[in-house]
Amino acid sequence: MSKKIVAWIDQRFPLSAFVKHELTDYPTPRNLSYWWGFGFLAGFVLVIQLVTGVFLAMHYKADSNLAFDSIQHIMREVNYGWLIRYLHSTGASAFFIVIYTHMARTLYYGSYRRPRELLWWTGQLLLLLMMATAFMGYLLPWGQMSYWGATVITNLFSATPGFGEDIVVWLRGGFAVDDPTLTRFFSMHYLFPFIISAAVLIHLVALHTVRSSNPSGLNLADKDNIPFHPYYTIKDLFGLGIFLLGYFAIVFFKPDLFIDPANNVPANPMQTPADIVPEWYFLPFYAILRSVPDLAGGVVAMLVSVLIFAAMPYLDRSRITGGARYRPIYRTLFYVFVIDIFVLGYVGAHPPASLMKLTGQIATSIYFLTFLLLPFVSRWEEGRLLQSGKLPADVVDMARKEIEASHA
Amino acid sequence: MLKTVYWISTLCLTLIAGTAHASADLPSIQRGAHIAAEVCNGCHSLKYIKYKDLLSIGLTRDEVNTLRGEKSLGDPLKAQMAANDALALFNVVPPDLSLMAEAREGGPHYIVELLTGFAPGADGQTTNRVFPGIKMPDIFGIAQADPAARKEIEQKAIDVAAFLEWAADPQAEARKRMGRGVLIYVAILTALFYLLKKKIWRRLK
Ligand code: HEC
Repeated sequence: MSKKIVAWIDQRFPLSAFVKHELTDYPTPRNLSYWWGFGFLAGFVLVIQLVTGVFLAMHYKADSNLAFDSIQHIMREVNYGWLIRYLHSTGASAFFIVIYTHMARTLYYGSYRRPRELLWWTGQLLLLLMMATAFMGYLLPWGQMSYWGATVITNLFSATPGFGEDIVVWLRGGFAVDDPTLTRFFSMHYLFPFIISAAVLIHLVALHTVRSSNPSGLNLADKDNIPFHPYYTIKDLFGLGIFLLGYFAIVFFKPDLFIDPANNVPANPMQTPADIVPEWYFLPFYAILRSVPDLAGGVVAMLVSVLIFAAMPYLDRSRITGGARYRPIYRTLFYVFVIDIFVLGYVGAHPPASLMKLTGQIATSIYFLTFLLLPFVSRWEEGRLLQSGKLPADVVDMARKEIEASHA
Repeated sequence: MLKTVYWISTLCLTLIAGTAHASADLPSIQRGAHIAAEVCNGCHSLKYIKYKDLLSIGLTRDEVNTLRGEKSLGDPLKAQMAANDALALFNVVPPDLSLMAEAREGGPHYIVELLTGFAPGADGQTTNRVFPGIKMPDIFGIAQADPAARKEIEQKAIDVAAFLEWAADPQAEARKRMGRGVLIYVAILTALFYLLKKKIWRRLK
């Protein structure tokens, strides 16, 4: 029976061919570590956010007089409303943890390199879309931090030369964050996830064109590729189980971990909170913003700090594959960068008192220096490593081929 | 990898054990409910709590009837003092208390510290250690209390904070109960995935 149905469909739509091509026959390097499982996890969290978000929207009221109460209505009166809301609020943080790890893996193993530039750039686009979605979603509970966070961030656009103030008014739908801001953010917060879903499809098409990179950095022989299904479906499911243990531990036992106490106070335009702190996933960028004394300069620095990842395929000029694996200096830079991000995150969470401010400025300089030094350091390290004779022969071969190709 | 699994499951089990131990102290919450409805409600509202909700923490029907007076069971715990009167009297409308236990750094602990933080100041006026210049009077009169009365007041503060902690998150107990089941289920499922993964990947050797 089911065979008949599939045959019926196959005459009209390439269902079996698709499953075969993308899953049961799709060749995947057999040496992928668990770090390669985070893309799948990101897709899974996206689905959690979409589903819980749709259910939340059934009960949420996007009206500045009702929004705060409607969240409490969801928490107290809607059947399992608390569960849906905590899955969603924790899901947002989980999404960033997963995506940042996914990016860190790409940076460590050099997966952004030729021919995966478009894959990396669609990823960069996804990051931007996610940040916008998260930022707008954070306004919806209409708490103090929602309100003042949105006020501070929309105000950044006033740094635009010429018509900055106009842009701010246009974004907010008025001179201050108010009901029109809330309704438009809600509308966009509902729209963006579908744009993200479309961008994910593009990301996957790019992935299936260039295929997964792998920890060795080498192009594997056919025998070293295995079908995605069942090998990676089961490996990803096991990874998902581990992820869910942590995720559910927070949802059920510490759901307020990512909720600022001030956001349990309804928005009050007359009263600015003692310090306005964005969500944790924006903290490093927020620290960069505040490290530049001038507003316009800060905004530019912040924008560049997010967008500069897109330049990685060009900043990293080494032709030795495998990312940090065979390149000790690149590896050191990677770890310095990761530690630096944590320092920036810490600075972003605290009021910019003198020592904190100085730390932020140093960390900001290190952030940009790692990117700026990379073109020189990577090329210099390449030469040194190729001469050293310590690299595996196939790595050297591949690097030599790439060097020849770049001369041709 | 097995190590990661081990650590994460240990972490979860510790969490489960920790919260199982710290399950709410019902008598304290009940005493706190009386204080909140009889004292705090004079000035503060608890608008997300209805009288009938108090039945779910074990107050009897009679107790709730006494607390609600003329109001119906489905009514929220509104402040007895009108907002305008409060504004005239204190220069500020006393904030709603239903979410207070989650709306300040420190949570219920902060509420205890605040209520017991009143002390005689230098100029003969009462001040508060935690919130200098607070416009709320020293409700329990702790600034003037002798040591024995102090003890009693401290217990009252703990009780009312326990009640407010429940009020801010009435689903907490149900949530943790469900969470225990969910974590155990996912832990078993993950173990099965692991075994299945081993089995499938063995084909490659
Ligand atoms: C006589 C009226 C009155 C009574 C009774 C009263 N309060 Fe208040 N309360 C106030 C006022 C007024 C404020 C606002 C203080 C301010 O913002 O300066 C306040 C503020 C508070 C705050 C918020 C402090 C902060 O950090 O902003 C808490 C918590 C609080 N009260 C708890 C209680 C509790 C618990 C009770 C019952 C034991 C209670 N109050 C009884 C008048 C009252």
